Amino acid sequence: MSKPKLKPLFIDNLKLRNANANRWKIFFQVSTYVGIIFLTLLLLNILNQTFGYVAISSKVDPDSLTKEGVSLEQLSKKELITIIQDNVSAGLLRQLQREMPLEEKSQSEVYDIVVEKVFESEVSATWTLADSLMNKVSIRAEAAEKYPKADLVFYSWVKPHLLSNPQSSNPLNAGVRTAIFGSLWIVLITVIVAFPIGVGSAIYLEEYASNTWFNRIIQTNINNLAGVPSIIYGMLGLAIFVRTLEPITSGAIFGSVDPTTANGRTILSAGLTLALLVLPLIIINAREAIKAVPDSIRQASYGVGATRWQTTWSHVIPGALRGILTGTILAISRAMGETAPLVVIGASTYIVFDPNNIFSKFTVLPIQIYQWTTRPQPEFRNLAAGAIIVLMLILLSMNAIAIYIRNKYRKY
Amino acid sequence: MNPINTRETFDNQLSHLSQEVLSLGKMAEIAIRQSMQALQQADRGIARQSIRNDLEINKKRYALENNCVTLIATQQPMGRDVRFLTAILEIITELERIADYAKGVSKVTIRMSEKNSSITIMTHLQEMAEMGLSMLERSLEAFMRRDTESARSIPLDDDQVDHLYNQVAMELTNMVIKDPGTVQTAQYLMWAAHNLERLADRVTNICERVVYVNTGEMLEFDQMEDE
Amino acid sequence: MQLPFIYEINIESTEMTLPQNNSLAIEATNLNIYYGTFRAVKDVSLKIPQNKVTALIGPSGCGKSTLIRSFNRMNELVPGSHLKGEILFRGENIYAQTVDPVEVRRKIGMVFQKPNPFPKSIYENVAWGAKLNGFKSELGYPNMDEWVEQCLRKAALWDEVKDKLDQSGLSLSGGQQQRLCIARTIAIQPEIILMDEPASALDPIATLKIEELMRELVEEYTIIVVTHNMHQAARVSDYTAFLTMDEDRSGVLVEYGQTNQIFTNPRDSRTEGYITGRYG
Repeated sequence: MSKPKLKPLFIDNLKLRNANANRWKIFFQVSTYVGIIFLTLLLLNILNQTFGYVAISSKVDPDSLTKEGVSLEQLSKKELITIIQDNVSAGLLRQLQREMPLEEKSQSEVYDIVVEKVFESEVSATWTLADSLMNKVSIRAEAAEKYPKADLVFYSWVKPHLLSNPQSSNPLNAGVRTAIFGSLWIVLITVIVAFPIGVGSAIYLEEYASNTWFNRIIQTNINNLAGVPSIIYGMLGLAIFVRTLEPITSGAIFGSVDPTTANGRTILSAGLTLALLVLPLIIINAREAIKAVPDSIRQASYGVGATRWQTTWSHVIPGALRGILTGTILAISRAMGETAPLVVIGASTYIVFDPNNIFSKFTVLPIQIYQWTTRPQPEFRNLAAGAIIVLMLILLSMNAIAIYIRNKYRKY
Repeated sequence: MNPINTRETFDNQLSHLSQEVLSLGKMAEIAIRQSMQALQQADRGIARQSIRNDLEINKKRYALENNCVTLIATQQPMGRDVRFLTAILEIITELERIADYAKGVSKVTIRMSEKNSSITIMTHLQEMAEMGLSMLERSLEAFMRRDTESARSIPLDDDQVDHLYNQVAMELTNMVIKDPGTVQTAQYLMWAAHNLERLADRVTNICERVVYVNTGEMLEFDQMEDE
Repeated sequence: MQLPFIYEINIESTEMTLPQNNSLAIEATNLNIYYGTFRAVKDVSLKIPQNKVTALIGPSGCGKSTLIRSFNRMNELVPGSHLKGEILFRGENIYAQTVDPVEVRRKIGMVFQKPNPFPKSIYENVAWGAKLNGFKSELGYPNMDEWVEQCLRKAALWDEVKDKLDQSGLSLSGGQQQRLCIARTIAIQPEIILMDEPASALDPIATLKIEELMRELVEEYTIIVVTHNMHQAARVSDYTAFLTMDEDRSGVLVEYGQTNQIFTNPRDSRTEGYITGRYG
């Protein structure tokens, strides 16, 4: 007896299915490439602005001040001071000496003064990197024609001075030092406030809170808060920290500042505002990390007679630490890049002195960049591009730290 | 939706196995009948044939035992199933012994030099055989039907077989007293009667196993000999 | 001349031999366990004997895991679960208001279905629970190192791990991990060890090792084991309880008795159906 044969129920559609799969694959590939192209364009645009030929004209020809063969940078501090004394007005010299006696400044600071006050160097024109590389000859010709007195140099707007100098009205001397310090101070406050509160409430919500309607509302609201536009936080910060809590945030009641000029637009207010902003992010990330700790570990711990707290402290938190720290660092990166709420609570845009305590006026990197891009002079846009590179490097290194932590706290 | 019988394959194997046990029982029955026929007709040819047939029965018994062991190892029976399989191991052994008794009767036929004189004795021997075979048949039926009640009642018939056995023994004694020259014949016939009496005892053992399969009770239908 | 037939019972008494009151480790009385409104375990009364292995068997969803977890109050960690009835341990209801579940779990340890060592070293896995519960070297055992060794020996793991005590517990094989979990449980000196399908995630050899270990441990501890492998229950246990679902899908206790009786001659047709594989 032969086996009964099954009636064929299927048509051969494998080719069709493979073709369909292929189309989708191509779509996904293309979307990835488009994303990469946009990112590359962004980066190229910034680099294009950051490097390139600059025509610098000076009131005093630098060559006239130096003896033959020796460049200005190689001169000693004493010789530089002599140059300053010889070339600036008596009033300006007095003003410089009042800030800080020239003899006490370092060689490079004195050199900066020479460049700024003696030469009064100015940027006459800038060219983009692409231009500079491709149309070298025509740029030289143009510069020689339009700015016969100016020096044409290949200039990098990211330079040590950018990090070490404070804000200045001369783009050649302007730097982001005050902004970096402002950012660091604010992030410090943000972390100190947001990390313990965020992790604490994440632990409470995951490990202790029971599933009541009240707790469900809290959890939903935290998730919603993460999606609230940051400018709203700025307005909240303005109302609460800058206005209502002004005596505290200005430092007036601590007596550390002059109460008549003090106001609430300080690092403390900014830090607290950003802490509010990143709190939902930290809570959500920490909760996810805590959720990812397998329940079997908790059961094992209870099974050997541990209390809830012993279980949380010895197993849940160590297991979730990786995720908590990674999430926190990403939240800090977010805080670093925020502009809108700080504008609302009134960050200063032009600060030449480093902030030295939490009641100082401040500016931050993104605001500095924004301010430069709004200036009419085109060379400030090049400066902004340089500052963007600095900001990006800071954010990249924070992400690198996050990756490092993730790998270091790998599961035992 | 039909409920799935989770052990359909196993159930089929078990029912096939019990059919095989039944056919082994049939072979044992035929062996007894053949040997009785040979004894009645003093036909050594049939007797020899019956002895040869015993080999087949032994072979079948080993095949069934192997079958049982395989099922135990592969199906890991529990509860009634394990009782059933171990009972089958026991029952096929008993059936093989019953076939051996047929061989014993056939050997008597071959060795007896003369035709038996006493018709009464032969009739009684035939009755013993018939009664034993009837018990065998009913016990296997009880096994197939899982009939505990009948398995409990069949051993009661052993009483009658024993009664016949005693009668044959008495008759043989009388025969020897009358004519001492028949002493060897009497000895052979006594041997045949003994085999038939044991047959009924083996059936009793089968009945015990049937009860065990059904209830899990391990009984012994014991027959107390008088002092 | 001939006596009529008699029959005599020829094997050890098949009367159900249930544990006596004087040797009980733990006793559940009219236990009902609910998840919300669903009754997962219905009216179960069970007397678990001391220094014996008692197996709970039954089909999936019959409440056997719920039942075993109620013996050390692990079940109440499931949100929405509550319990009616009593579980008497040393004459005291472990669900009484005055009893701290942490204390219950110290006396009644638990080994879980999936091996779940802590993500710590092998040594720490054993020592952590002991430390937590106030292990004091002066109170009897010389020091923690020796106590850890003792526990690992009892769990038949010492020879395999003695050279790598500082390695992660997760670096061990599945069977070794489960024995590490047993060592961890022994380390808190429980009186009863609950095992919730302890070998279901293991290969056959590792399973047999765990079973052999259970037979050794039962000299000192009372063991209650849930298993869906009834051959394992048959091999390893002294007593077996068969649970099944009633028409409301609640778990009910059908039959409880000595293991050899349950597996060769069950009294209840539902037990018979389950152990011979003709369930449902």
